[in-house]
Amino acid sequence: MWAYMIRRILVIPFMLLGMSLLVFLLLFIKPGSAAFATSGQIINPDQIAALEKELGLDKPWYEQYVNWLGSALTGDFGKSLRAPRPPVMNDIKERIGNTVELGILTVLISAVFGITIGALSAVRRNSWIDYLLRMVSILGISVPNFWTATLLIVLPAMWWGWTPLAKEFYTFQDDPLKNLAIVIWPAAILAYGSAAYTARIVRSSMLEVFYSDYIRTARAKGLMERVVVLRHVLRNSLVTLLTIVGLQLGAVLGGSVIVERIFAIPGLGVLTLEAVMGTDFPVVLATVMMFALMFVVMNLIVDFLYTVVDPRIRY
Amino acid sequence: MSDDQQSSNDQSSNDETLESVLSDFAIPAAPNLGQRILRFIRREPLGFVSGLIIAGLIFMSAAAPILNTTDPSAFSTDVLKGPSSEHYFGTNRQGRDLWSRVLYGGRVSLKVGVATVIISIIAATILALLAGFFGGFVDFLLGRLADVFIAFPAIILALTFRASLKGTIPDLGVIMSSGELLVTIAIAIPFIPGIFRIMRGAVLEQRSSVYVEAAEASGATSLRVMFRHILPNITALVIVLTTTSLPAAILAESGLSFLGVGVPIEIPSWGAELSGQSRAFFQKAPWLAIFPGIALSLTVFAFNILGDALRDTLDPRLRGRI
Repeated sequence: MWAYMIRRILVIPFMLLGMSLLVFLLLFIKPGSAAFATSGQIINPDQIAALEKELGLDKPWYEQYVNWLGSALTGDFGKSLRAPRPPVMNDIKERIGNTVELGILTVLISAVFGITIGALSAVRRNSWIDYLLRMVSILGISVPNFWTATLLIVLPAMWWGWTPLAKEFYTFQDDPLKNLAIVIWPAAILAYGSAAYTARIVRSSMLEVFYSDYIRTARAKGLMERVVVLRHVLRNSLVTLLTIVGLQLGAVLGGSVIVERIFAIPGLGVLTLEAVMGTDFPVVLATVMMFALMFVVMNLIVDFLYTVVDPRIRY
Repeated sequence: MSDDQQSSNDQSSNDETLESVLSDFAIPAAPNLGQRILRFIRREPLGFVSGLIIAGLIFMSAAAPILNTTDPSAFSTDVLKGPSSEHYFGTNRQGRDLWSRVLYGGRVSLKVGVATVIISIIAATILALLAGFFGGFVDFLLGRLADVFIAFPAIILALTFRASLKGTIPDLGVIMSSGELLVTIAIAIPFIPGIFRIMRGAVLEQRSSVYVEAAEASGATSLRVMFRHILPNITALVIVLTTTSLPAAILAESGLSFLGVGVPIEIPSWGAELSGQSRAFFQKAPWLAIFPGIALSLTVFAFNILGDALRDTLDPRLRGRI
């Protein structure tokens, strides 16, 4: 197992290298992109020329890439093209914590509800509660998160004058309670979608396990149904569940762009979006790589959990 | 000498008995399309209803001009009016008729969704055929490329491609404006690696089957084997992947439009309807938030159910994988 994990970790730098090359080629190799990006801010041709020189646009792309990679490895992603031109790293440092927190909270909520709903559905299969829960889950997959978020903001405000939108944002370090009171809502919205997905998978994989021989054996030796479900069925469905959580991570990270926007969370998602809209390439490059890094690391953790959940898995 | 001649020469006397014996073992004729549709209705009633809903939605957006709509971009003095017999879904802050905007918005969602899926399925199929057929270095290269693409969250990749391709996309005139095509391509690319991986597995499975070996032994070219032999045998998978990707593509388009980086702002779309300046009026005029959301959710919901039903009908082994 350790050999496998080490191998997995060793692949990561190559993975990130490939990803950074892809993003770099997509975003940097454009003649005149600097002038394009700063539209409205710098109109003087001399300033554009100076900027292009600073960004190294006069050099061939591979040289630009190596230079960028060199400074990126030391944590320097250059300066934003936005007006006061702050270093990109400052923005990222300020915001990455909020996005990571949102992601972790979402995965936790989604796993707890997804497993509970899926297991309940499987145990009470074909009862009214099963149909109800399955209906709720297929809705969760179909209804876009930006709509549920919008309804969560509009309807309670209309009916009770209460809104989940905070006037002021507190980071977790500032005030954990106030912070959670804000972040819990976007996390719940994101979690609804992925919990719905999880519940469907948990249900079908538990149903599969229910009919296996070792469950019959467990029942035959007189175990309580509760023990059979929790210790035997659920435990064996967790492997499938982990696969699903792994697949959902991308949706959760990507979804953060949308909910951060709606709930005014100063996170990486909003930063990426604003950079894309303003064609602020150094920022897009850096934030996209941060998302890639988070995604790769989270998938690594999921892989590691596989071996914890299912000791039979030996790589 | 062909088989036919041989049998007529050697066994002309036994022809009738042979035929009657063979007919006992005959494979029953494949059900025709009508029978298959009837069977689908019986086995998957929900899927059938979803199909009807989708047909209705397609009709409504295609026939929008004759369904009591006005120009979706026309301003009027009826600002923020609630639903009425004149404006079924009410009007927005510029006095635009929401019913018209929702119907016309359906056009964009369906158009971009379908185009996205067509592009990604065709690209993924060709790549999967290449990888599965030639194996070796081609397979390795395409596989690692897919790894890299899949390692990005899909929206982030779409945003990156959107930023990168902006201004390089041609205008296809009536088929699709360059703004719509830009979004379509940006959404389609993140779909390709996932579909590619599933298809590659299917191609590899077919590649090692006896009929491919037979085709190759009789001198069929690689292209012929790929497109005439392997491709028809993975059609069910292609259809299932198409229907299951479509709702995701529609959600992606509306998500980007919601964020303001989707289809150009002057084209009405369900996602954009829920964002931007309108948001300030949602409390006063909740119909603005409700109808476009219902239209979008219903469409995605119907496609999801239909996709599941088609999957279970065409290839039940895919359950749990797609």
